[in-house]
Amino acid sequence: MADISEDQEVKVAIETAETFVNTYYVTISKPHAIKEIPDFYVKPNPESPLKPDISLNGNLISSPSDLEAVFEKQPPKTHYEVQSFDCHVLNRNYNVGVPDNVLEMNKHGRKMSIMVTVSGSVRYGDGADIQGFMDSLVLVPNWEAYGKPHKGKRRWLVQSQTFRLVL
Amino acid sequence: MPPLFCQTQLFLWPAAFRSQPAHITINTHKGTVSKLPSLWFLPQHLFYDTLSHTPLTPTTSTTESNNPSIIVRRTDRTSYKQTSRVEHTLIDIMQRSSPAPRGPRNSSPSIRGRGGIQKRKAGPTRLDRDGDLVMDAAAAGEKRRSGRGHVGSDTPSRGQGNGRGRGGQGRAASQKLLQAQAAIVRGLNAKLPQANVLESRITSTDSALQIDGLSSSKAASNPDGGVESLLAFLERKASAHDPKSKPVKIKKSLKKGGSVIITASPDDVLAIQKLNGYSFAGADLSITACEPPSSRLEKPKDEVSVSAQETKERLRGVLASRYDANLKLLNLAALAQDPGLIQMGVFDGSTTTSKIFPALMVVCDGLFKTRSEKREAIVSVTLADNDLVDVKDVAALAQTFPDIKNLDLSRNKIAQLSSLDAWGTRFRDLVTLILTGNPIEPSLPAIKSDLVKKYPHLEILNGVQFRTPEEIASTIEATKYPIPLQTPDFRDVGQVGENFIRQFVALYDSNRSALLTNFYDDESVLSLAINMAAPRNPKQILPIAPWAPYLKYSRNLVRVNNLPTQMSRLHRGSQAINTVWSALPATRHPDLQTQPEKYLIECHSLPGLVDPNGQSARGVDGLIITMHGEFEEENDKPEQALRSFSRTFVLGPGGPGGPAIRVISDMMTLRAWGPLALPRVAAVGGVPLEAAPAVTEQQQQEAFAQQLVLRTGLTLQYAILCLTETGWDLEKAFVAFEANRHKLPTEAFANSNFQ
Repeated sequence: MADISEDQEVKVAIETAETFVNTYYVTISKPHAIKEIPDFYVKPNPESPLKPDISLNGNLISSPSDLEAVFEKQPPKTHYEVQSFDCHVLNRNYNVGVPDNVLEMNKHGRKMSIMVTVSGSVRYGDGADIQGFMDSLVLVPNWEAYGKPHKGKRRWLVQSQTFRLVL
Repeated sequence: MPPLFCQTQLFLWPAAFRSQPAHITINTHKGTVSKLPSLWFLPQHLFYDTLSHTPLTPTTSTTESNNPSIIVRRTDRTSYKQTSRVEHTLIDIMQRSSPAPRGPRNSSPSIRGRGGIQKRKAGPTRLDRDGDLVMDAAAAGEKRRSGRGHVGSDTPSRGQGNGRGRGGQGRAASQKLLQAQAAIVRGLNAKLPQANVLESRITSTDSALQIDGLSSSKAASNPDGGVESLLAFLERKASAHDPKSKPVKIKKSLKKGGSVIITASPDDVLAIQKLNGYSFAGADLSITACEPPSSRLEKPKDEVSVSAQETKERLRGVLASRYDANLKLLNLAALAQDPGLIQMGVFDGSTTTSKIFPALMVVCDGLFKTRSEKREAIVSVTLADNDLVDVKDVAALAQTFPDIKNLDLSRNKIAQLSSLDAWGTRFRDLVTLILTGNPIEPSLPAIKSDLVKKYPHLEILNGVQFRTPEEIASTIEATKYPIPLQTPDFRDVGQVGENFIRQFVALYDSNRSALLTNFYDDESVLSLAINMAAPRNPKQILPIAPWAPYLKYSRNLVRVNNLPTQMSRLHRGSQAINTVWSALPATRHPDLQTQPEKYLIECHSLPGLVDPNGQSARGVDGLIITMHGEFEEENDKPEQALRSFSRTFVLGPGGPGGPAIRVISDMMTLRAWGPLALPRVAAVGGVPLEAAPAVTEQQQQEAFAQQLVLRTGLTLQYAILCLTETGWDLEKAFVAFEANRHKLPTEAFANSNFQ
């Protein structure tokens, strides 16, 4: 296993978290982008049967494709805004569902799981009250895009999400 | 040394657990797998405060909601023909507040928006209204007083009018109503003095004086030509003339050649004029009256202003005769038949309201300074009998009065709901809507849900209550929370999460170092972030204690962008965490047991964590816990002690020699205090801990089995076997396991799916 400095890890984690928060909350704000939401999550396949664990306001979402139905109920002009986020490297050598050929490979410190917490506000429609939300996510590598040109595929996917309106 | 099996496998879930469907869809999700229902039992009464729909103002609620027919009664135009003394007062306000507008020129009501009108409030044409204003104000005061006294005697005639109009209202009921209305009028009148002050400030006409002689004074050599000292001199001397009155104040000054032109209130001008011939810095001053400087500039436009103003005055008159202060009703019914408007000739050639309506709305806008003033004064509007096919012609109503509660569209030609589209999404607060006598009427029952969507507070349709306030509240809740709020999704395993939270909350307040010893090790990582921009509940705003104690630790990555700071605010290991915790203020968290409504705690299992014993290359399972809540902070300002927080923990098995269960990651976010958004319904099946039914033997055995599974890594089946043999004594079972572990077959152990 290549030895990656802690600085490097932290940097990758922050960049990953930043990219995620900058795209995810824009996507769930846009009615026409609802179809893209499932793309943010881990997809179980025979090689890695792990399903993402998604809990939104206490509702368990059994599969990312069900997310469309959830976010469809949001009124037009819903707007999520990220006001604060933070992240930790959880496992610096994450291997769940990893293809055998990359089991031992960890170049550039990109084979980790990252916990991200987000604090922000949301307005469900024009003129609606502004509400606060907290989101805790675990991001893991997208093995399909790992170590190769990603061709528009997301490099990181949500493995676990616990979202709550807190105000 | 061989690793202790029980430690490396501590967090592997029993296979039986895994095979259960881990996910439940929204629809069927009523009772989540919760080991702690009692903690999150939420008393129902707590939610009504925050979630009930906007209450009607006390006065209107008595009038409107108890008397659904009242609106219909109001549409009887005859009752507005009489102009009560109270209305006179209103007319007075309307007239006095008239800023001299350019307004609609020659009856062409083309102006829109308030900007133009307001701008001219300070404009020169107010000169024309100089003397009038003073008299008007006095007269208004007179009328106001009499108005208040006469409400009682005035209203019975209104009562009769009502009787004629509808015939259905009992006299006693209307008497009661009238008392309520009298209260409204008193409230309205009470606001008038303030309006007066504003009026006088805006419309009182300043006079100007020309002062000559400054250029020959010694002060002329000052950098500003001596203007500053001249003004000071004039103010000082003029004030000294009459020490009892308030000091003279010069409002504007303008240096023009050798003269200075000043503007001041008429009283002050009189005082300053007395200084004519005074000596200032060696020169004699000559003070003469002159035109205010700006008025000369705009003089050529006076002609237009006068005619435009006349139009505006007439519209104002029309509005005044159509406003009912008692009912806070603006009656815009049958505009095409309005004698005042006909007289103005606005309908010449066309009978539409499209031209006159925006102008009327502009005039209305000019009468109110703020949206809340409008909301107070006008609660109901009737647009009955206007031949409206749609509301395009009267679209301006939505901009001008977006907050009205009652709207009457009786006897128009509205055929479908889309005919109201010109109002967009306004009138969200509408409680009563009358569409009687429109082609749409028969189809109303079919479009109830569309109506409700458009007007979420709609309760009374065509005089009939068609939704209960409860229904409205739940619909509004659905709008407010498109992702419905459910009870906490607490999918604990073997009570690991529960035990941790209980200890954390207690020890974080009382003994942080014990907490570190119990749950943190050298690999634990902690950071905290402040969200200073977090939204707040406008109804419950408390002052925020200074963030200073936390600021230098805040790792809010939206703001903290340089790597060294990002690194230094990441605290790894018990020792580093201890340093931070000892520096943070002492706290007091609400008691989990007695104040469960102060928390929302959720958790579920999380795979792929570091195996501290290096046994499992693909990692071990752990638990991710999120906790939202509040704490009181120990600082010197007890009224600023509350903060809201969210914490996310990742728990996993500890390494050799450390705590059995350790915190891998601990992230805290701090926000200004605000009440938590709690699910409206009490937890399904949630019961207080005290009242929980006695644990059955079977439940007890299951709990033992799960604990043994956790401690030994055995499958549930083998754990039960082991417990059965030791008489369901957990400790004995564990000892037996330790003694016999080498003899156990491999299938006795639950291995990770990922191994």
